[in-house]
Amino acid sequence: MLLLPGAPDGQGTAVTRALSAASVICQVEPVGRWYEAFIKRRNRNISASFQELEDKKELSEESEDEELQLEEFPMLKTLDPKDWKNQDHYAVLGLGHIRYRATQKQIKAAHKAMVLKHHPDKRKAAGEPIAEGENDYFTCITKAYEMLSDPVKRRAFNSIDPTFDNSVPSKNEAKDNFFEVFSPVFERNSRWSNKKNVPKLGDMNSSFEDVDAFYSFWYNFDSWREFSYLDEEEKEKAECRDERRWIEKQNRAARAQRKKEEMNRIRTLVDNAYSCDPRIKKFKEEEKAKKEAEKKAKVEAKRKEQEAKEKQRQAELEAARLAKEKEEEEVRQQALLAKKEKEIQKKAIKKERQKLRTSCKNWNYFSDSEAESVKMMEEIEKLCDRLELTSLQCLNDVLTSTTKEEGKAAVEKQIEEINEQIRKEKEEAEARIRQASKSTEKSTGGGGSSSKNWSEDDLQLLIKAVNLFPAGTNSRWEVIANYMNLHSSSGIKRTAKDVISKAKSLQKLDPHQKDDINKKAFDKFKKEHGVVPQSDSAAPSERFEGPCTDFTPWTTEEQKLLEQALKTYPVNTPERWEKIASAVPGRSKKDCMKRYKELVEMVKAKKAAQEQVMNASRAKK
Amino acid sequence: MAAIGVHLGCTSACVAVYKDGRAHVVANDAGDRVTPAVVAYSENEEVVGLAAKQSRIRNISNTVMKVKQILGRSPGDLQVQKYITESKCPVIEKNGKFQYEIDTGEETKLVNPEDVVKLIFSKMKETAQSALGSDVSDVVITVPFDFGENQKNALGEAAGAAGFNVLRLIHEPSAALLAYGIGQDSPTGKSNVLVYKLGGTSLSISVIEVNSGMYRVLATNTDDSIGGVYFTEALAQYLASEFQRSFKHDVRGNARAMMKLMNSADVAKHSLSTLGSANCFVDSLYDGLDFDCNVSRARFELICSPLFNKCIEVIKNLLEQVEFTSDDINKVVLCGGSARIPKLQQLIKDLFPAVELLNSIPPDEVIPIGAATEAGILVGKENILLEEEPLAIECSAKDILVKGVDESGANRFTILFPSGTPLPARRQHTLQAPGSISSVCLELYEAIGKHSAKDENKFAQIILQDLDKKENGLHDILAVLTMKRDGSLHVTCTDQDTGKCEAITVEVAS
Repeated sequence: MLLLPGAPDGQGTAVTRALSAASVICQVEPVGRWYEAFIKRRNRNISASFQELEDKKELSEESEDEELQLEEFPMLKTLDPKDWKNQDHYAVLGLGHIRYRATQKQIKAAHKAMVLKHHPDKRKAAGEPIAEGENDYFTCITKAYEMLSDPVKRRAFNSIDPTFDNSVPSKNEAKDNFFEVFSPVFERNSRWSNKKNVPKLGDMNSSFEDVDAFYSFWYNFDSWREFSYLDEEEKEKAECRDERRWIEKQNRAARAQRKKEEMNRIRTLVDNAYSCDPRIKKFKEEEKAKKEAEKKAKVEAKRKEQEAKEKQRQAELEAARLAKEKEEEEVRQQALLAKKEKEIQKKAIKKERQKLRTSCKNWNYFSDSEAESVKMMEEIEKLCDRLELTSLQCLNDVLTSTTKEEGKAAVEKQIEEINEQIRKEKEEAEARIRQASKSTEKSTGGGGSSSKNWSEDDLQLLIKAVNLFPAGTNSRWEVIANYMNLHSSSGIKRTAKDVISKAKSLQKLDPHQKDDINKKAFDKFKKEHGVVPQSDSAAPSERFEGPCTDFTPWTTEEQKLLEQALKTYPVNTPERWEKIASAVPGRSKKDCMKRYKELVEMVKAKKAAQEQVMNASRAKK
Repeated sequence: MAAIGVHLGCTSACVAVYKDGRAHVVANDAGDRVTPAVVAYSENEEVVGLAAKQSRIRNISNTVMKVKQILGRSPGDLQVQKYITESKCPVIEKNGKFQYEIDTGEETKLVNPEDVVKLIFSKMKETAQSALGSDVSDVVITVPFDFGENQKNALGEAAGAAGFNVLRLIHEPSAALLAYGIGQDSPTGKSNVLVYKLGGTSLSISVIEVNSGMYRVLATNTDDSIGGVYFTEALAQYLASEFQRSFKHDVRGNARAMMKLMNSADVAKHSLSTLGSANCFVDSLYDGLDFDCNVSRARFELICSPLFNKCIEVIKNLLEQVEFTSDDINKVVLCGGSARIPKLQQLIKDLFPAVELLNSIPPDEVIPIGAATEAGILVGKENILLEEEPLAIECSAKDILVKGVDESGANRFTILFPSGTPLPARRQHTLQAPGSISSVCLELYEAIGKHSAKDENKFAQIILQDLDKKENGLHDILAVLTMKRDGSLHVTCTDQDTGKCEAITVEVAS
């Protein structure tokens, strides 16, 4: 429990010194309802704690200056209440000097003061004369308050404020003193703006941005001025709906007209100002100058660039020319050098050859007999022609440093080598020639290589096959090729293509040749054996058995038994093969079937061969 | 108008709804009030919550955990490298952002942390909607105090993608205070509150000054080497050593076995908060051997004693930092699931013997409830200013005191206008003086901190004279102090009986 002490004598309320620390900035967490309340207060820019204090202060200020500055309207008492529409409401309430700037509070206070002073009851008491009913001038005060206390009506009245100067300075007026003329005009027109913070006209030193902002604001001026106050008819007076509508229509048209005029007025004002504004002129000139400078700079830059380019091009050309010259020079030098080298080599070779000849001559060409030495001479000459410089040198070295015998051996060795080389070259050349002739043959012959491989037998076989499988057989040439491969003894695999080409070439051959082949074949057949079919059938049976190596060959007994069985069980017997198999001991059903198929094949082939022979003999006849 | 508050932690997320004037936590479809903040990716679906957590034994590399640690971080961050190496799901860096590499059978796909958070938020939204039975999108989300701008943006982005209309992001400690309504009843008075949040992976402590119903964070400290997971890990290590003792198998190197042990330890830890002992049982832990072990609460406290020491050490450090003694703290708020541990509560109580320990709300639900309360305040309000930065406001710099005497006659000072009061502000006090005296003197002093006012700090005196004497009574003097935003002070004193009034205005020395 804290108790306050008593005051010492002789002391009063006092502030001994100022507070030492100002407020500090702190960060608070954005949570909780008190935070929200605080922010709300702050955003409304009023403080609950201070509201009362400040309100009081404001009120006192207001009342003070009103008491001081309420201006009495001198003509008040002469006003005609019926003509209220033309009266100046502000003046009537004594606010003629504040007008549209007056606050609602001030209007209220002024009205109160006027009522206190001019109320008919008051004046009656003072003994003044009072007009009857509505005709008293006090009605004007009431009307004025009625107009000004309603924000909408007040705005309507403000819009046509009789004291407002609607004039727009002409261009001529502002020739010399632009700012003095236009500044107040814009100032007073700015009160119509819906937007706050109307930009000021500024002065000669305003920046381009400011001026631009100023004019763009005024060109897009958003005015609240409206002209309902000047309506000719009053809507409220209408007696019926139609009349009301008509009045409304009239009024609307009139208002629109006036609004348009107003807009035009502002527009003219801004236009005039813009055309007279010395700053705009200045900016334009600056802009022009800048553009010109830029243009100049551009041209200059272009010129410079071109020059530079030209220079560079020239330099490049020069460099290219120099390089070319140098190159040519080099080439020439090299050619010269090469030529010299060659000459030197040539000389060296000549010299070496001479040396070789002389050394050989010295030793009498390593022989005694005339003929041999002549031959040797020839060889040596050959050597001289063919040997390279280095090998010549080597040989010479050997010859000079050794005895005759060794020298001979060396020379002979060289000669041999050379001869060998010559021979090889010759062979190669021959081979090349052969190759060339071969390839030409191949290209002309059309499958010449394959034609080579067609032996007599094969040709015969082919003819047989072609006849066996006449045109119209399914995939005829494949079948023929297969047949050929099966029956040919040469072992060469032939494709359908080979067969086709050969057959075609055979067709091309004259019939005489064909006959020749056939005849030859017949002769051969006659020569060989009387039993051609035997040999014919033997070949396939071998081949048929070839793939199935695992089973034993059929003996004659078995064969006989099988034939017997085949006869006893005709084709339509049920389970024929089982029965056949049981009739042939030691053979399964499968074996029997296989054997039967082989036999059929054999018989077929036999028949075909016989037919062939018959045909051949017939053709012979 | 319903609104919800969501708290996304490293290990778990929780949602509370504000309905009919109060906030309460709602349970998810699995019946749990807290949903693990785990997302598991499989070939054709994403699983959020408990199912994902339980399946992590088999799907560890495609299970995203602790996404909050990666969210909104830039690769330049040193801290984040540690988190990435710890993450079981591979994290790669791409275009200056981190992405999870998820292997879904044939192809690997990259997942932004934002997308993971979005899935969690969607889950929370579903949970709230099923509880309310109607669509709800207005939400307040909590963030840690050390969340940076990028992290907040990433979180906001994820929330927007989940269909939330984020009313505001608030700090977790403030939300905790709001959940208990500290300072919300009357906007006068000043107190200091310690918020102790022991979450899954980090411990963060804040000292908050509550003045005029507004919260100001004086100091905060986050230590990410202590957390619920570390307690579990310690217990799991103990269980592993027990297993080794009885079966001669060391399972510490076996990731899957350790995961099973961790799950078992987690369950045991939870039950040890309420029970004296808990049973850990793992079927076929290793090599087909079943593991069964009984852990008592005392054993658990022994195992974790280094961790407990660390937990308390952090508080002491923070108090030192703000030059507070434990007496300067008026309240302690516990939050975070691990603040349930009885031993920890006991230790904190020992540290602040005279202080009220607020734990009536389950600790892991405190923050979402606070967020939901804030959402309830904000919802339906027009033009909520979403300041990115906490608002900076002017506060009074010094205490304003008045000198008086107590019953024994000794001089005493009473604070009339505390420092740190958001300005402008008005405080009124009814002071009393003995009725036997005819004049009263109020001597006003300014002071900072606990240094008691000295004579040279006196800046004004107000004297009321010619009061009516009352033999058996007291004079009631109403003192109204109003301070403007610049710090200038206006004091009015009125005697309630006679209506005598004195006023002074004190400017700030420039």
